Amino acid sequence: MKRLLFSLALLSGCATNPPEPAERPLGPGEVRSAAALERNFVVGETSKSDVRAALGPATAVDFASGYEVWVYREPPRKEPPAPGAELVLLFDPGGLLAKTRVAPRP
Amino acid sequence: MGYVPISLLVLLSGAAMAQDDAVVVTALRDPVTKPYRKMVEGLELFEERRRELAPEARLRFKVLPRKPDAKVEGVELEVSSESAAVPLPVEENGTFTLEHDETALKERAQVIPNRKAGTMTWRADVRTPGLPENTRRLGDLRLECEVGMEAGLISNYPPGFFGWLDELFPQGPAYCRREQPRYLFFAERPLWSVTLVDGDRREVLSVDRLYAGATANAEWKKKLAYCDCEALVDRAYFVPLGDTSWPDETLVVLEYM
Repeated sequence: MKRLLFSLALLSGCATNPPEPAERPLGPGEVRSAAALERNFVVGETSKSDVRAALGPATAVDFASGYEVWVYREPPRKEPPAPGAELVLLFDPGGLLAKTRVAPRP
Repeated sequence: MGYVPISLLVLLSGAAMAQDDAVVVTALRDPVTKPYRKMVEGLELFEERRRELAPEARLRFKVLPRKPDAKVEGVELEVSSESAAVPLPVEENGTFTLEHDETALKERAQVIPNRKAGTMTWRADVRTPGLPENTRRLGDLRLECEVGMEAGLISNYPPGFFGWLDELFPQGPAYCRREQPRYLFFAERPLWSVTLVDGDRREVLSVDRLYAGATANAEWKKKLAYCDCEALVDRAYFVPLGDTSWPDETLVVLEYM
């Protein structure tokens, strides 16, 4: 798991890895590469605390059923102007990852 | 990230199930009603617009739970006017049909369920036969929105709720032809994703179009009790009805949690 968290921290652009000078710092719930991060998560194994430790706080929606949807977004693109891709994670009521998807923004 | 469980406001005060006799329905105090005339106007709009949007589709109306512990099972409906109370058969899934009745129109009849106000909500249900259970047709949804707006099925919201809903109510069916109308549809089960498919063109809708836009509004939970999606927020979605680059034949594929 330590290796996983380390690699996720690198991909997410956390404080351990300062962003390129040309890029603005990531805000809460933002990641550099949604697609690259998705490959590091394992359905049925990765927990909410794993993800939070690696990527920081998400935009989260929790339902009465116990399921939660977490969202991380890439920063908006400048040229051409467009929103970034979004990484969406579904956690089951036990707190384990149930589904993932990356939606490239049009 | 602070978590507060969804506050499930239990506003039902023992909306006792009516007995078998449909007349009991009218005895319920403070029931949720819809004007029959408005619903007939929805029927008429369906007939007018179906050729363009959904030639093979059938229209039903639908009652849905608005509050978390409200149940559709056992709901009874009737068209109630001065001279008659006519029961409407309701399917297990909450759908029903409505007939045109001149007497009911003249007498300003109401469609009344055996449920208290604020516990149920309403939608049109427009479906082209032959599609898989998890697949809707965009033209059906376009027509569903127009009928729903014409028939006044959407519950009222307080001013300022989510911002965008304020602009929804005064506009009738024309609202549905905006590029990005926020008319809420409800899936049969909790949703994971919604994908538009037109031949080779596919687009997974942003998560901001699911769950009544909750991921785009940090304050969503505080105002959830005002939304007729309160009990169905995990099934709620909206689609780009007015984006004409997606034809009516576009399939709207739902993946469930």
